[in-house]
Amino acid sequence: MSTVARYALVRIASACLTLFGVAVLIFGAIHALPGSFEDVLVPQAPQELRDQIAARYGLDRPLVEQFGMWLGRAIQGDLGVSLITQQPVAAEFARRLPVTVEIAGLATAIALLVGVPLGVLSGLTGHRRLVPATSRLVGGFAMSVPDFVVGAVLLYVFSRYSLWFTIGEWTPLADDPIANLRGALLPAFALSLLGIGLVLATARHATISVLGQDFIMAAVARGKRPGTVVRQHVLRNAGIPVITIVAIYSGYLLGGTIIVEMLFSVPGIGRYLIFGVLNRDYTVVQAGVMLAATFFILLNTLADALYAALDPRLAGSQGR
Amino acid sequence: MNALVAISDLVVDFRTRQGPVRALDGASLAVREGEKVGLVGESGSGKSTLAMALGRLLPPNAEWGSGELMVAGVSVRDLEGAALRRLRSHTLGYVFQDPIGTLDPTMRVARQLAAVMEAGAGAADVSSLLADVGLQDHHRIARSYPHELSGGMAQRVSIAMALAANPKLIVADEPTASLDASIRGQILDLLVSLCAAHGTALVLLSHDLRAIAHCCDRVAVMYGGRTVEVGATAEVFAEPVHPYTEALLRAAPGQERLGGRIEPIPGLPPILTGRAEGCAFEPRCRHRIDACALARPESSEIAARQVICHRAEERRPAAP
Repeated sequence: MSTVARYALVRIASACLTLFGVAVLIFGAIHALPGSFEDVLVPQAPQELRDQIAARYGLDRPLVEQFGMWLGRAIQGDLGVSLITQQPVAAEFARRLPVTVEIAGLATAIALLVGVPLGVLSGLTGHRRLVPATSRLVGGFAMSVPDFVVGAVLLYVFSRYSLWFTIGEWTPLADDPIANLRGALLPAFALSLLGIGLVLATARHATISVLGQDFIMAAVARGKRPGTVVRQHVLRNAGIPVITIVAIYSGYLLGGTIIVEMLFSVPGIGRYLIFGVLNRDYTVVQAGVMLAATFFILLNTLADALYAALDPRLAGSQGR
Repeated sequence: MNALVAISDLVVDFRTRQGPVRALDGASLAVREGEKVGLVGESGSGKSTLAMALGRLLPPNAEWGSGELMVAGVSVRDLEGAALRRLRSHTLGYVFQDPIGTLDPTMRVARQLAAVMEAGAGAADVSSLLADVGLQDHHRIARSYPHELSGGMAQRVSIAMALAANPKLIVADEPTASLDASIRGQILDLLVSLCAAHGTALVLLSHDLRAIAHCCDRVAVMYGGRTVEVGATAEVFAEPVHPYTEALLRAAPGQERLGGRIEPIPGLPPILTGRAEGCAFEPRCRHRIDACALARPESSEIAARQVICHRAEERRPAAP
């Protein structure tokens, strides 16, 4: 078997194992929550009615049996129907996922566009200068102010003075890209602050540590221009830790959009999941968490592939 | 032959948290075109500082004091911008201790070589350069990343890079210290024969006195930031005038007679904080007299050598 094929096989097997573990954990967790589906749906109803509802959805069977049934259907691609709306869960997520992916993608893009230049620049210009001082301030602020605070401030300001942005209405990207951006940029910005801080600090440290490497001194000793040294040697080598942090950050965003989605009434999976948990809509929560876990695994695989492209030393070591 | 390098009374301090540290305390050295000069001395004697000063490659906390450093007729300390880059890229070539670390880990060898060659150099030029440094398997090596090379191969590549622009002087800072003992000789011979073939001068820093004796026309012994004895290698090693040279030779393995002992030099090299008012070697010297601690010895010419020792005249070697 070729090393690539074996590597892929190992990755797929470990991904399946991870997903199974997540499935068991989340199944256990939502059923351990106080208050079952029928309690939340019909709190005042007599016991017979509750038993009837529980029986209808198979909630009266042992947990292991319920899990087995869910797993059997999930493997065949059937994530079940929402207990509340009776709609197939997969279709609901397919409708909402693009919205969350869009604001998460925008937030990541903003984090990279702001964080990388500021981080690299402040890494290059040493310690006691204006640029690093400013960018450390920006980074510290961005990381320490929670997104719901920034979100609330943005909501307040832009509800009073619209200034081109719209709040509380969501136009799908396919319908009207401009109108979509008017609604998507503010929540994306609120989400991106943490990312800006993370990317900035990581890019800064990576730049400083690459600058201390022998091959940078050797390049200077060969008479390369400072700009050439940065472009050819510093950026590429400093990119590796930045990719790691962006992969972690985007994975976090898939769950981390919840608060911002609630604040800005964005119809993404975050809001859907929150209501799923509140209503004890087991199939929705189960599917949502599985979806997020799958995304996380995919992002990590993508990051690993990017490392290998940037740093040939890692390419050979991944199969082991 | 003309003087390619003329260093006279060069003083360099490093600013540190504990105050200034004097790395060069009036070092003097001349290197003629095509000449091979060895620099020896314990760690901390100022060898590397002198070598890096030649290309103005001292770290930012270095402060140039008095004295002159001329390379190819220009004063290095006044060089800036394009003129400095031209000195580094066309007049000087550096070979460092850790060959793999001085190559960018993310770039193939061929690309790194092409970057130091004249614009328009193609794959054939890269191959012939690699063949020149004794890499027969040059197709494979050109496509390799640095981590795929052995230390010896990587050092051959570094030598090829240093020679690519046909410099006037190669500065080699412990070029074989990190290599297997079995290939040190090969690498040194390669360096020396290539310099001879191109008419390139060589400044070789090493702890390995035998290597210096084998490769270099002249040797400069450094102690406490000064060049305490400079002369023809064979003569200096056969009949050292400066007590430090004598002690260094006795402490070196490979020089002792059968049944003889290696005699380590007692004490530690000094860390100077300013101009030494006496002889820096005085506390460790077995030939010291009262004047050594009180008066700073100046350079005197003894038997066609420059020696910095109060007792140089009495220690004049017997005429051949």
